[in-house]
Amino acid sequence: MSNRIITPVKEFEDLLPQEYKDLVADGPFFAEKGVDDLGTFKEIMEQHPHCAGCGEALGMRLVLAGLPTPQDTLIIGTPGCSFFGLAQTALNYSNTAFGNQNAVASGLKRMLQIRYPDKHKDVVVMVGDGGIADIGLDYTLHSWFRKEKITTIMLDNEVYGNTGGQESGMSKEGKVLNMAPTGKKFPKIPVFELAKTSGCCYVAKVTIASPKKIGKVIRRAILIAREIGPTYVQLFTPCPTNLKFAPDQTLKVAKEAEKDYYPFEEFISDDAAAYLAKVEQAKGDGKS
Amino acid sequence: MNIEQKNVSPEHILFEAPRDKAFITGSEAVAEAVKRANIDMSIAYPITPQSESMHLIGDLYAQGYIKDYYRAENEFAVMAAVHGASLGGGRVFTATSGPGTLRAAEMFPVWAGSRQPIVCGFMCRGISLPPSIQPENIEMTFLLDSGMLMFHAENAQDFFDMILKGYAIAEKPDVHLPVGVFVDGFFTTHTREIVMLPPEDIRLSPYDPKCSPVPAFDMETPPMRVVRDPLLNKSNFISYAANASWHQEILAAAERSKKYINHYMNGLIEVDNPKAKILIAASGTAVAQSREAIRDLQAEGIDVGLIKVKSIRPFPEKEIQAATENAEIIIVPEFNAGGWLAREIKASLDHNSRVISAPRIFGGMPMPKELIVNEVKHAIKKRA
Amino acid sequence: MISNIDIRMAGLGGQGVVTAAHILGTAVVSAGKHSAVNPFFGAEKRLAPAESYVRMADRPVYDRGEILYPDLIMIFAPEVITMGKSYTMPFYSGLKEKGLVMINSDEPILSEKEQAGLDKLGATLFYIPATKLAMEFAGTELATNMTMLGALCGLVDLVEIDTVIEAVAQRFSGKSKFVASGTTAVLDESIKSKYAKVSLLIEKNTTAITKAYEYTKKLNQSK
Repeated sequence: MSNRIITPVKEFEDLLPQEYKDLVADGPFFAEKGVDDLGTFKEIMEQHPHCAGCGEALGMRLVLAGLPTPQDTLIIGTPGCSFFGLAQTALNYSNTAFGNQNAVASGLKRMLQIRYPDKHKDVVVMVGDGGIADIGLDYTLHSWFRKEKITTIMLDNEVYGNTGGQESGMSKEGKVLNMAPTGKKFPKIPVFELAKTSGCCYVAKVTIASPKKIGKVIRRAILIAREIGPTYVQLFTPCPTNLKFAPDQTLKVAKEAEKDYYPFEEFISDDAAAYLAKVEQAKGDGKS
Repeated sequence: MNIEQKNVSPEHILFEAPRDKAFITGSEAVAEAVKRANIDMSIAYPITPQSESMHLIGDLYAQGYIKDYYRAENEFAVMAAVHGASLGGGRVFTATSGPGTLRAAEMFPVWAGSRQPIVCGFMCRGISLPPSIQPENIEMTFLLDSGMLMFHAENAQDFFDMILKGYAIAEKPDVHLPVGVFVDGFFTTHTREIVMLPPEDIRLSPYDPKCSPVPAFDMETPPMRVVRDPLLNKSNFISYAANASWHQEILAAAERSKKYINHYMNGLIEVDNPKAKILIAASGTAVAQSREAIRDLQAEGIDVGLIKVKSIRPFPEKEIQAATENAEIIIVPEFNAGGWLAREIKASLDHNSRVISAPRIFGGMPMPKELIVNEVKHAIKKRA
Repeated sequence: MISNIDIRMAGLGGQGVVTAAHILGTAVVSAGKHSAVNPFFGAEKRLAPAESYVRMADRPVYDRGEILYPDLIMIFAPEVITMGKSYTMPFYSGLKEKGLVMINSDEPILSEKEQAGLDKLGATLFYIPATKLAMEFAGTELATNMTMLGALCGLVDLVEIDTVIEAVAQRFSGKSKFVASGTTAVLDESIKSKYAKVSLLIEKNTTAITKAYEYTKKLNQSK
């Protein structure tokens, strides 16, 4: 999208909502904004209907701030908690049927490559842990096997939030949840490891307690997906409502998880590393 | 691509261009239609009896007629990916059969709700259990209220034409709905018959995403902080009304499609010998079998007319009412156990005891003309 | 020339009953008549029972699916009858009165019961050594479908033999894109490799058809 498309025509400017004019004047479009700049620009997602202390809402906010080219980014989701915040972003966002996000993103990315062969349209899947690890696992893995050039981001809150706190494949072993009345019987599904062996060129695991790292990995994941192949970011976004901790403890929970069982990890394939070295050395890298 | 194709209007390709005789199968007719449809992308997953047509479309991709094509992991993935591709603002085609249709079913109302002019072939077959790969069109009953327009082809000629007509109708800005083109699998896909084809050096003009009631999903329109799909998860009457009016608009768009169906398909129904007191009303292969039965009945001096129902959605309620005004017996032969067409017709008519839902053939059996002839004679006897 | 006729062809998967039906249908249509041709609707497996159906008429053909009441039955392999490798038992069920049966066999194979069944219908029976003719004139039993076609044309006045030969050439030269099924396409490749050159394949098939045609023409005259 060019800047001209969002810039209001002078004669009609007064008809536009202030919200829109602020986004054009002070938003992240065509501006070099990142996680470090939060608080100094109008964000893609501001108000949201998530619970107090929602880790996922913070995760989405950080991811969106980290997008290298928001004016050409499209987000595909699936029904679940993430839908509520993402539905109110100033980006093209769509969620349709359950678990189909990586299939939809595959079709979308390919069609955008047909229609805009000289442009990078960044197709990003942003979905909860149930959407990726359970109902959408086939489609996620197959998009990776096929080497689709999309970025998949899991907002891992280790529980089905929107439906009321049921066990997901990403819940911790032993955790007592709805539909797991005697505790979960198997460990977290190793999606991170599956990503490495299924064709992803860049894989990262990070928590919302490390916002700067989120900014960095999102940028890397999207740049690599443009040129090299599929990328996956697993973001720990704990849920105070269903994991039953106080809303003001979210960051503390994330920090403890980082120390305990959710350490920062990054995997990068050789060709992706070579590409990354090239773009990160270049000045004004990748902010095309 | 070994030939240069010229972009032309649907009217030219359907009505004006000269046609040559080909002796081809229904599956080949699908590929011939896709070759002339200027498709951007097609996605395939094998299932009998659809597979051959999607192989041939793969060949078209290899020859350069289609810009992208791949084999997806299952039918739900196929229908989701063509949804994604259509969101991206291009023209897409795919096809499936029976169990594939049901596996993918969550996506069909999504296509309609997203107002996508996707054209999909359905080569209908039995649905387990007990397992059957044989012809049967029971899957159509599951899709009647999916929001999709549904056309039922009698033979390979219809199949070829209805795919191209499907795009012409689906892409009208005031319609913009998905079109399912249905055939009875095997009877049409695997039968080689005469099909009249326009030249292969012409094709439909490309899809124009700017003529859509909803903008393409490509970040080329101003990004307001609003959802493209209406936010309907809130529990209040404004969101209920938003949801309901969106659905009403889908129904209204189907209603508006009737004028285009009349134009391109020469009516939602076709009536032969409308004055006859005995009518056979059918769709798909049951129409072909009825034609053979009527030939025999006429030879015996029994006057029988035919209503061929081409558009299942929108359903030609008024047209069937008018066509059956003087009918005393309406026989509805079908290739399914449920008798969905007879139900639809009964619900459209006064004095619907005139409607006889028989013969109903399923399990893969053919429908010999003798069965229809017997039904007609039985009905006459019962009435007398 | 006979106008309206329904033919059921039964054989073993891989013998080419589907291809034979398509070639016959193509010939009929190129002669300006109507035809609809379809295979049996099942999974394709080599040596499993296979059937195909040819309808031809001087008016449009609407009827589809398996032919339940054929005028003519062609049996491509004795095993269809002797080992019950068939979807239709007995093999002649549904045959119209005064119908015609062609069996690919060097010698009589029918049981008394089967022969009585045919007699009751007033059917005419021909044994054709189609595989033998195929081996002799095309050098491969894969040409059995060709000799069966040639034999058919010698027995019944359906379509000019030259039109059939033309349809064979069309079929194997790839001039008209012709895919009966995935499995048939694979078999096509294997048969093409047997001959190195397509033209040689067409030539051999033409010889096989012609010889079988002459064989039954003589047989018919002597009957």
